[in-house]
Amino acid sequence: MSFFRRKGWFILLFGIILLVVLVGYSLSDRDHLTLPEQIIKDTVGWFQKIVYTPVNYATNTISSIDDLKNTYKENKILKEKVSEYKGLVYETQELKKENKELQKTLDKSESIREYDPIQATVISRSPERWVDQMTINKGKKDGIKDNMAVMTADGLVGKILSTSQYTSTVQLLSGFDQFNRISATISTKKGKDIFGLIEGYNSDEDALTFEIIEESNQKVKKGQLVYSSGLGGMFPSGLPIGKVKEVVPDQYGLTKTALVEPAADLYDLNNVIVVDRKLEVHEEDEPTDDGEE
Amino acid sequence: MKKFSLPLILFLIVVLEGVALKLLPATIAIGETYLIPHWVFIVLLFYAMFYDREHTYYSIIYAAIFGLLIDIVYTNVLGVYMFSYALVIYLLHEIAKVLHGNIIVMILLGAFGIAVVDVLINTIYLVIGVSDVIWSTYLLYRLLPTVLLNLLFLIPFYPLMTAQLKKWQREHRTKHISF
Repeated sequence: MSFFRRKGWFILLFGIILLVVLVGYSLSDRDHLTLPEQIIKDTVGWFQKIVYTPVNYATNTISSIDDLKNTYKENKILKEKVSEYKGLVYETQELKKENKELQKTLDKSESIREYDPIQATVISRSPERWVDQMTINKGKKDGIKDNMAVMTADGLVGKILSTSQYTSTVQLLSGFDQFNRISATISTKKGKDIFGLIEGYNSDEDALTFEIIEESNQKVKKGQLVYSSGLGGMFPSGLPIGKVKEVVPDQYGLTKTALVEPAADLYDLNNVIVVDRKLEVHEEDEPTDDGEE
Repeated sequence: MKKFSLPLILFLIVVLEGVALKLLPATIAIGETYLIPHWVFIVLLFYAMFYDREHTYYSIIYAAIFGLLIDIVYTNVLGVYMFSYALVIYLLHEIAKVLHGNIIVMILLGAFGIAVVDVLINTIYLVIGVSDVIWSTYLLYRLLPTVLLNLLFLIPFYPLMTAQLKKWQREHRTKHISF
């Protein structure tokens, strides 16, 4: 049979060696994409932009027609919520004014809460489902840098994994692992905020795992809101991450782990905001870290 | 221009795979089932069956190139799709030599090919550590629906592709390379 030609085996061996080399290179701690990779991503990205817009438009129209059925009921509920929120808007404005004045008196110019939003559109989504990535249409030329937070109006959806000149790749929350930890906090009305780290995503539970670091005298309860704390250096503070779904003891039985359901919808993503934190943290170029944000 | 129509088609399909998730209705996309479009692979299978002759290997070269393209654009781990696609297309090319190219054969080869390629890709990801799946879940929730979805892609394309590829095979007769 022609399978057993000698030449064939050599090519197979060469193929396996090539595979191992490429995989090894990809999994090493790379800071940036090689130039050919960037060129390819930008070229394909350009075509994806062209294809994505009409497809998106068509699917949106179809789902809007579907949505019309529920509009009346939704409208009633929303009107009630709006009147509730009017009071909140006034309160927030007053607090903002007070905060600004206090900052001025303390002579603080920037806080870790502030950021520059960069608008971006999703142009493709990785079909390989293990890899939970998507591509957006802004790149290095638009000021995007690695590890920046990506969010929608609802909350955090992921972070920038790599950038090329005109496009960037976003790692979604559902693909987070121990190399992508986020420093987070649960704000409580009284007492100290509960600090912890988002350690990764548990796909069985469809939730992020939030390991509590600081033992506060408060207990973590279902329904509490989790925000980014900004202490990791890359993300600003105050970004909504999600809601506590369940509290389970951690694997060593010492502290509790909270399962956090992401606030943003990770499936129907079209327009996102890339967060450029105003307060810079000057990091030296070192290869150590696990990428804590 | 005609000379580039084969790789051009493959390139367009690579771009299309990026919006594939959008085209599926929300319930299927969010649910437990994982549907992976391997449309580039199906088209490569067509090339292997109807365009390549016994000693030409265009489909395998294209499999390697476009597999690498998929790796660069859609995953962060290079080489996985390239190796898997090239290897399985080579196997199918050898098998195709002894088989007659009709729709039943294509469906069978397509199902077999996609199953093998998906298992191969998943095994490599498992070894690397990118994925961690229990094989029984994998079989039911990813492999089966994926194979079915890709077959659905294959069937309407069969008449279009075969006629066009046979025409090109005749036209490109003199330019074939051989090992």
